[in-house]
Amino acid sequence: MVRITFIQPDGSRREIEAEPGDSVMQAALAHNVEGITAECNGSAACATCHAYFQEDRLGGLDAMAEHENDMLDFAACERRSGSRLSCQVKVTDALDGMTVTLPEMQ
Amino acid sequence: MATPVPVMDDISIAALTADPYPSFRRMREAASAVWVSDARINLVTRFDDIMTVERDHGRFASTNPGSLMNKVMGHSLMRKDDEAHQVERKAIEPSFRPGVVKNHWTPVFDAIADRLIDAFVESGETDLFGSFAAPMASLCLNEMIGFRNVAWQDLAAWSQALMDGVSNYGTVPETATRAAAASDAIDAAIDAVLDRYRDRPDATILSSMLHAEHAHSIEQIRANIKVIIGGGLNEPRDSILTTVYGLLLNPDQRARVEADPKLYRPAFEEAVRWVSPIGMYPRRVTRDTVLGDTALKEGDQLGICVGAANRDQSRFSDPDAYDVFRDRGQHLGFGAGPHFCAGTWVARQMVGEIAVPKLFDRLPNMQLDDDKPARLSGWVFRGPVSLPVRWEV
Ligand code: HEM
Ligand code: FES
Repeated sequence: MVRITFIQPDGSRREIEAEPGDSVMQAALAHNVEGITAECNGSAACATCHAYFQEDRLGGLDAMAEHENDMLDFAACERRSGSRLSCQVKVTDALDGMTVTLPEMQ
Repeated sequence: MATPVPVMDDISIAALTADPYPSFRRMREAASAVWVSDARINLVTRFDDIMTVERDHGRFASTNPGSLMNKVMGHSLMRKDDEAHQVERKAIEPSFRPGVVKNHWTPVFDAIADRLIDAFVESGETDLFGSFAAPMASLCLNEMIGFRNVAWQDLAAWSQALMDGVSNYGTVPETATRAAAASDAIDAAIDAVLDRYRDRPDATILSSMLHAEHAHSIEQIRANIKVIIGGGLNEPRDSILTTVYGLLLNPDQRARVEADPKLYRPAFEEAVRWVSPIGMYPRRVTRDTVLGDTALKEGDQLGICVGAANRDQSRFSDPDAYDVFRDRGQHLGFGAGPHFCAGTWVARQMVGEIAVPKLFDRLPNMQLDDDKPARLSGWVFRGPVSLPVRWEV
């Protein structure tokens, strides 16, 4: 199991145990973490699973495809250096102990 | 306890076509899936059940061996699952990305909208269906595909012939003949231009298909271009008209939107919720299972009624009202799951940022024509089939 801590816009934190192989989006939904809509359920087409990943650990995540890179510019909240579509990031051991902050709006 | 699918034999296709929403409400209240005898399919109408279906394509597949769509159009990405689907979907993505839509397609769409409005702006009245929405959607799609020398009327007629062919369950021979003729004409239009994109890649869909990491075969190109013609024309057309209709029916909302053009985007999104252009799409049950309160059998055909789910009162307050200012929340007008509309960002830009704002901007005192009421029709696909308006010149 991989521990990921989700931080809500109001600062509240919640640690979950994610299943390796799921996407971070799926892990969040499976644990009823608020703040991810995932309208396209992982097709990288809606940008409603936007989240800010811990900036000093981005190197350990799946690489970002051109499509995701384009889509992130159209998320409802501003793009920052830790921005990813959480459906495009797989849960691996490299994420253990990571924090993921959710945007105000999807 | 899950119960078998209840039968409703007092809901006619004619009633659904005229106004599906009262029937949708009855179905939502009855069960998770309802067999509508006249439509000969199990209809799923509740928001939460549709989310369940969309999140589990192992149990609820798009692949459908007996699909009429495969016969009429070839085997397109819309009727594939998993890897086979993803590879084709990825191939077309570059033409549909929001950044590409914004930078590449926006000037093209802008010019088309202005040219169409130029043609009727002095006349003081028009039916927006034929003068604006239909040519707008068709001309834009023509450009996106990369066709040359195809008249918008032909593209629109092919689209209609294909859609009629797909919903003609083998009963009317002329419909099948027309669909086959449209299919041949599309193959010829593809052949006429395909080579020009081989050495000169650009943003068109045909170019994306040729230059993808897993390039489309000619069969894949033909099938997927047909699905894009069948599914990428009527929906923007209908949503242009529905957005305009919603705003013209609600002068207070219109005034607020006109005062703050950022609100055209939510006005479009609300129109797609209110009268969803694709009201129903199919899925197939792959094994005996339970959905919500209803037991389903392997092989059951489901009609996923997003047009009904988008009026689910457990999800939307006052669901029958057009309200640009309702709480932001997910709707299912673009579907959900792996087949979530590939053209979502194209439609948002074409309709919500270009066609509708330009119309209100250039015809500032446009009103519904009191003598000629708007007409809406359909349930599998639904939208205004006539939207007469007047303005002072
Ligand atoms: C307001 C306008 C539109 C609406 C409401 C809409 C709605 C939908 C819906 C509900 C689906 C899912 C169907 C299913 O799961 O079986 C879909 C799929 C699709 N749409 Fe759209 N659509 C719109 C505009 C467009 C446009 C403009 C294009 C192309 C230029 C397009 C291309 C597609 C394609 C290619 C698919 C299939 C995606 C796949 O199977 O992976 N759509 N659309
Ligand atoms: S769930 Fe839609 S982009 Fe990630």
